[in-house]
Amino acid sequence: MAIPAGQMMAVGRYLLKQRLARRERYPLVLMLEPLFRCNLSCTGCGKIQYPVQLLRRQLSVEECVSASDECGAPIVSVAGGEPLLHPQIADIARALADRRRFVYLCTNAILLERKLDEFEPSKYLSFSVHMDGPRAEHDHSVCREGVYDVAVKAIRAALARGFRVTTNTTLFEGSDPERMRHFFDDMMELGVEGMMVSPGYSYEKAPDQEHFLRRERSHQLFARMLGSPKRSWSFNQSPLFLQFLMGKRDFECTPWGNPTYNIFGWQRPCYLLQDGYAKSFRELMEETDWSRYGRKSGNPRCQDCMVHCGFEPSAVRAAFESPQAMAETVASLVTGRL
Amino acid sequence: MTEARIAELVDRAFDYRGYVTLRRSDGSELVGFVYDRGASHLDLFDETATRRTRVPLAEIADIAFTGEDAARKSQDIWERRKGKPEPRETPAHGDWADPAKVLVLVALEQELRSVARALGAARRGGVVRGRLSGSEVVALAVGMGEGARRALAEQRPRLVVSCGFSGGLDAALAPGDLVLATAVRSTGGDALAAPESPRQAAAAALDGLRCVQGELVCATSVAASREEKRALASPGALAVDMESYPVAQAAGEAGVPWLALRAIIDPLESSLPPFTREARRDYFWPALRYAFSGPRAAAGLVRLARNASRAGAALEAALRRLGPALAVAEAHR
Repeated sequence: MAIPAGQMMAVGRYLLKQRLARRERYPLVLMLEPLFRCNLSCTGCGKIQYPVQLLRRQLSVEECVSASDECGAPIVSVAGGEPLLHPQIADIARALADRRRFVYLCTNAILLERKLDEFEPSKYLSFSVHMDGPRAEHDHSVCREGVYDVAVKAIRAALARGFRVTTNTTLFEGSDPERMRHFFDDMMELGVEGMMVSPGYSYEKAPDQEHFLRRERSHQLFARMLGSPKRSWSFNQSPLFLQFLMGKRDFECTPWGNPTYNIFGWQRPCYLLQDGYAKSFRELMEETDWSRYGRKSGNPRCQDCMVHCGFEPSAVRAAFESPQAMAETVASLVTGRL
Repeated sequence: MTEARIAELVDRAFDYRGYVTLRRSDGSELVGFVYDRGASHLDLFDETATRRTRVPLAEIADIAFTGEDAARKSQDIWERRKGKPEPRETPAHGDWADPAKVLVLVALEQELRSVARALGAARRGGVVRGRLSGSEVVALAVGMGEGARRALAEQRPRLVVSCGFSGGLDAALAPGDLVLATAVRSTGGDALAAPESPRQAAAAALDGLRCVQGELVCATSVAASREEKRALASPGALAVDMESYPVAQAAGEAGVPWLALRAIIDPLESSLPPFTREARRDYFWPALRYAFSGPRAAAGLVRLARNASRAGAALEAALRRLGPALAVAEAHR
């Protein structure tokens, strides 16, 4: 099982509280973007196309902590941009960990090894390293040679110093399922705690618009890639979400499950779409017209989206709302079958 | 322009990943990045990405897409290199071209020490190099009224800041108070108005500090005595220095925007020791000699040192805050 028992218990307690309070909408993961600046410009990324002055702007430690307090989600995914370019990123991670938030610091790992001294290993901190597949696929995806090797070296260094490390893989059209299976083997051999996979979202501002996966192609790819999963593989994700990617289940999107906060405010409606910003988390939750989003809404921008930030919360929620789904989740976690 | 046309422009501006210029019905203009819009307003960040402004749609007469579209630029770069990876040492996204530096010009070594502290950098041979809010800053001690033109030609900055100590011409100003110049005036009466955009950004950044805006008078010799300062005082003139006018003049000739920021060291009703009349970059030895000339001189020197310390701390605090404002000139490029 990829997720430590203590973390699962803490998240379970949080979800139970939401259920008992009969909250219809609640966050599971805060997507915190302390800056948009990045030291890569990946082919499928639509997050960093801003004027220089905005790329140089960043959230302060206080703003990050305040957003986390306001949101209350037990998990904080620190994304961006490249968070390690933030001069106070270690202070941000420490402050969030002090509040018992489980921090997933998403990084391309170019700066990870040289920044490790600034962090302390903690059960509340994981480095979630961006790895889009084997060496050739990853370097092609991030548009730079040598990044795979740098990341692997940094992962080894982080693991050797007792840090939690996971990987985070985005897949595009043209991914080879067999090569991805070997990649999963390689990552597990490296010793990472777990892996996360997701199809890429077709960001309107991303340079490459040709290689985003459509829904049917996502099903085909993930069914072949994750069919007969190896016992050695650990995914840092709900098995129900992986089954959804494989086309075995259907979920509706939960856009409020992973609310996003950045220099502009609380992004409406989700991590991927930018329809505006709310000044407070409450305003985001209460004043967003959620009926306009998700596949059933007919919103064309949602039709092919199967990204984890929208559907992982749906999968987790489903497990907590149905005894059968919970039983299937537990069975999958125990047997490793999907 | 019709409401429908404005609504269409607002939608385009919201989608646009670059700066736009809003023309208001009263003729005024506002440059910024539109990050949100509602039924009756739009929200934008100013050019330094520090201030947010909400503009009612009813006030908008036109929107021009004046800044570079970052999404288009990213697309173009990707198209150019399609199929081949970028070099390993490619700078961070957004650093496509190395932005020109900000040049800070001071007269005295002691002023340069304040700049060095603000930048968290060391002084090396009368030069301090560092960064403020991501902007590269080079600070030089060029003496009084000299060297500005040569420094501008050598450094080719995008913004020049004349900064340092000054004498008060307004009785309300105390040691450590800051003066941000709206204009600099030579003793001959010629005045140069400070460029609006960086000055407004600087004023916003300095909000909360003891800082006033007004005219600086630029003397050709040190106005050391209270009588000399009284003679220079006139309505609107807040402080006297010897550097800001030549700096502004040289910046104007080079087409570089400028700021002038001074910290008061000697108020209107006080006099400086005679050795300060001599133009030099460092006053350590003359001050030491003066201190041994008598107890009154020593006491006066202690007072001056205390005032210099206040003025230095004020300059340091102001420069730290100025970081985002220094980006203004870059936004205009």
